[in-house]
Amino acid sequence: MTKLERRNLFKGLAFLSPWLIGFAVFTLLPIILSFYFSLCDYSLLQTPVYRGAENYRTLATDPVFWQSMRVTAKFALLALPSGMILALILALLLNVKIRGQSIYRTIIFLPSLVPAVALAMIWLWLYNPKLGLINLGLRHLGVSSPPGWLSDPVWSLPALVLMSLWGVGNTVIIYLAGLQDVPADLYEAASLDGAGTLAKIWHVTIPSISPVIFFNLIIAIIGTVQQFTLPFIMTPSGQPARATYFYTMYLYDNAFSYLKMGQGSAMAWIQLLIILALTGIAFWTSKRWVYYQGK
Amino acid sequence: MSMAAGEKISPSEDRTKKAWLAHLSLIIICLLMFVPFLWMVSTSFKTLDKTMEYPPRWWPKPFAWRNYVDVFFSEKVNLLLWTRNTLIIEVLSVSGTVISSAIVAYGFAKIQFKGRGVLFVIMLSTMMIPFPVTMVPLFTIFRWLGDHTGTQWLGTFKPLWVPTWFGQAFSIFLLRQFFMTIPDELSEAARIDGCSEMGIFLRVVLPLAKPALVVVALFAFMGTWNDFLGPLIYLQRPEQFTLALGLQNFQSQQGGTDWNYLMTASVLVILPVLTLFFLAQKTFIEGIATTGIKG
Amino acid sequence: MRSTAFAPVRIIYVGVSPLKVIVAVSLAIAALLLLALGPRADEDLPKDRVVIDYWEKWTGNEELGIRDAVDDFNRTVGAEKHIYVRYVSTSTINLKTLMATAAGVPPDVAGLWDNNLVQFASLDALEPLDDLATQHGIDESTYMPVYWKGCHWNGHLYSLISTPATIAMFYNTKIFHENADRLRAVGLDPDRAPRSIDELDAYAKVLDDIGPDGHISRAGYLPLEPGWYITDTFMWFGGSIWDQKTEKFTLTDPKVVNAFKWVQSYSRRLGKDAMNEFRGGVSGGATNWASPQNPFLTSSVVMIQQGPWMANHILNYNPAMDGLKSANEENLQEPLEQRRKRIQWAAAPFPSAVPGVNDACYAPFDTLVIPKGCKHIKEAFEFIAFINRQDVMEKLCNAHSKNSPLRKVSADFLEHHKNPYIDVFEKLAASPNAQSVPQIPIMPEVGDELNNAAQSIALLQAQPEDALREAQVRLQAKYDDFMQKRRARNQ
Repeated sequence: MTKLERRNLFKGLAFLSPWLIGFAVFTLLPIILSFYFSLCDYSLLQTPVYRGAENYRTLATDPVFWQSMRVTAKFALLALPSGMILALILALLLNVKIRGQSIYRTIIFLPSLVPAVALAMIWLWLYNPKLGLINLGLRHLGVSSPPGWLSDPVWSLPALVLMSLWGVGNTVIIYLAGLQDVPADLYEAASLDGAGTLAKIWHVTIPSISPVIFFNLIIAIIGTVQQFTLPFIMTPSGQPARATYFYTMYLYDNAFSYLKMGQGSAMAWIQLLIILALTGIAFWTSKRWVYYQGK
Repeated sequence: MSMAAGEKISPSEDRTKKAWLAHLSLIIICLLMFVPFLWMVSTSFKTLDKTMEYPPRWWPKPFAWRNYVDVFFSEKVNLLLWTRNTLIIEVLSVSGTVISSAIVAYGFAKIQFKGRGVLFVIMLSTMMIPFPVTMVPLFTIFRWLGDHTGTQWLGTFKPLWVPTWFGQAFSIFLLRQFFMTIPDELSEAARIDGCSEMGIFLRVVLPLAKPALVVVALFAFMGTWNDFLGPLIYLQRPEQFTLALGLQNFQSQQGGTDWNYLMTASVLVILPVLTLFFLAQKTFIEGIATTGIKG
Repeated sequence: MRSTAFAPVRIIYVGVSPLKVIVAVSLAIAALLLLALGPRADEDLPKDRVVIDYWEKWTGNEELGIRDAVDDFNRTVGAEKHIYVRYVSTSTINLKTLMATAAGVPPDVAGLWDNNLVQFASLDALEPLDDLATQHGIDESTYMPVYWKGCHWNGHLYSLISTPATIAMFYNTKIFHENADRLRAVGLDPDRAPRSIDELDAYAKVLDDIGPDGHISRAGYLPLEPGWYITDTFMWFGGSIWDQKTEKFTLTDPKVVNAFKWVQSYSRRLGKDAMNEFRGGVSGGATNWASPQNPFLTSSVVMIQQGPWMANHILNYNPAMDGLKSANEENLQEPLEQRRKRIQWAAAPFPSAVPGVNDACYAPFDTLVIPKGCKHIKEAFEFIAFINRQDVMEKLCNAHSKNSPLRKVSADFLEHHKNPYIDVFEKLAASPNAQSVPQIPIMPEVGDELNNAAQSIALLQAQPEDALREAQVRLQAKYDDFMQKRRARNQ
């Protein structure tokens, strides 16, 4: 190692030191332990007993495990693209200099602040097929038999996707912060070249905020695969008939209801590998479309 | 109309059309997004027997102003106490997150050292393990700390904020992306001037990343505000409850929940964070004016 | 990417509106005031007493009753014997107790759900209470047999009870009388409740109000409304899902299959879509239950299967059904006969499918257990024994509008209870046909599988035999696996 490299290594590690310490104690240690648990029979009430890859084998032949994977995959395929696109469009709209900008932004950010308990009650009421506002509105628009939403095995998942879109404000905020950093002279140059609004968005805005898009993509992948709170409060136990039984719900049930922490931990590690694979793909493609201005 | 620095507003046809289009789309979207919240506020002013009347009524009749007084001074709901507890944890954890994550993110973004990529990927993957799984070993670690550091950890606020002083993966990731959009030429120039690495960090990079720092602080604040799982397992006395945990306990099993009071309490809980967001927006409007200089 | 070199950088601040400054400053001041002067989380524990931790599941309105009992203890017996109960309530009590026990710092008393009792006991996580109970004079003669048996497992007593319940039927007497002629026309008596499942079906058919297009305006009975005990229906059909001797599940037993077939018969007769639309869907129950829109309260359903707390509900959400203008007008000192004449409903045992049997019921209960590894076992039991003292227990059960688990009940309890028909629930608790939760170590999984089967059966997605057979195979495998691991561990 050259002297410069050594100095940089020292500087790098120095800056990383708070994280390295905390990481070792509060993150690495629990994760290593959770991997060990995944190889054990552990009920939380008794000490863990090592049993090799048995948990993983049991899961492979568990139909409920595969059902929960299917449910999560379906949700991700619906929620991920629609969420990312909606958030980006909203951020671009909210970035246009118009009056009342702060009010619009606040309204869009509002949903992410509502406490989960209240959220459940409001949306259960809204989705009520007989008395709720959504079907009331649909009936007014002429739909004669609107769907049963949360009680319908076909419509319960789309209902949850809609709810997740409602909470898109978090992603919008991050896009907004990124949009502030787009150099204005790039826009001017593009205008001078005769570019219209859409062209400016495609050629200036999006490449400039590509690091932010990348960030939101990773976060969204992790978020949708780990989706738990939403179905937990809206459709407990994945009703009806496990049509909304998300992966993390089954994980939670295994660990804390059925007292099979070993299986729960195994599920967590499988989930980790899946997320790693997906983000790996995202990283690999990022070289093509993400531009870091600093370089 | 407020002017964002740098963009000249030319009274051209294009600009006005764009503004009106933006207004229209935003109004429609915001109305849709606002409906559930409107319903929440409406219910917060209803008497219990009118909470679920059909057909649904927007303007409560009778209009129960008293709800807000009742909830604020209620025995079951100790809003002031819970808010104070939450505030204490907020101050400690937000400052911890911002400071430590910024330092670590700088290390990942601006210092080239061997093994940086590997460590970054490891850090990212820590976000991919769901909390319920690491919760159990973490709990045991805190108990061990209590036995060996002379002060109790369980049953106090410590497990809720101390780990944040060692960096937080989401914030580190976000700040790293932002730091990487800051041109290296700036840090180079400062380095040539004899600035230390820490100096560059404090005087060059940090001021330029203000929007990102505000976002990180906001998210850290919201995360703690809404966190209920952490307080649930680490706190042991009702006097210590935070807002999220307290609200969670509003529901009843067979005794029937006071939905109207729950909505009132939720509205009260949302208001501070909402106001905070409304105020923090000005940092988004702040931009960086550049005189385009070719380099 | 193009290189950009920014040298002088001008940062222009937008003019900050004075309003925002005022709001920001006031928020900051409010926060500082709250931090400095607000209510503190300090605890003033009495120094001369042993402090025991009691973790319960009740929140909201039900918490008030148990808090009173805790305060009573701390003032009286606790003061005498130098014990202080520190009480914490949270709806996810299981999770909290699990975490604490896993880390070796369990609470001294925990209020677990009854379907977790055998689970925890079989994992060696509970202190057996046999000796402590005998020392305090609590034995088989103290409790109703169904509850006493329910608290035992593998020959040991593992819990006592905080509040119990029995599940029966509530029916709308006003609607019965309005339809007296139509009921009599098919040989049914409008002055009493149905006494068998077949009678129940007959009453239901007469009392249904269904339009020509199948749209349901009123249902005589609907198993899914509220459907809380659908998976326990087999208890009214004389069946059992578990054979302790052979350690095998008996979900495919004809009696159990018949129970689910009966549930499905309502979906078939009324039509799945009409039924869903009428109920407001599976989730409708979650919001409708705790409101005046509860179908029983709106007279949309004439008979329902519920626990004794329903009386409280009727009073709070539809006092008109009790013949009152508001809940405050309720007078518990009024003679029972008068109260019963005034109200428009009555309670009776839920009918069974077994000929000659009319006192079958499901008897759930809320437990008080002492986790293993807690620090103050004797003191913890002092508190549990206090709750089980007749006067304390009656006060608590009345607050929750439930029956008492004790064999001895005072006349006052029966005559001035919040539920004017509490004697029905008390008699059911004493019945030999009462059953509590099946004592299977993997009961939470059994419950979830049965629920899943029940939903697909009721939604006509699967036939009862098939759904139950599938569930049985899965559950048997899980049970055998559990026992095998237990044996391996104990070697």
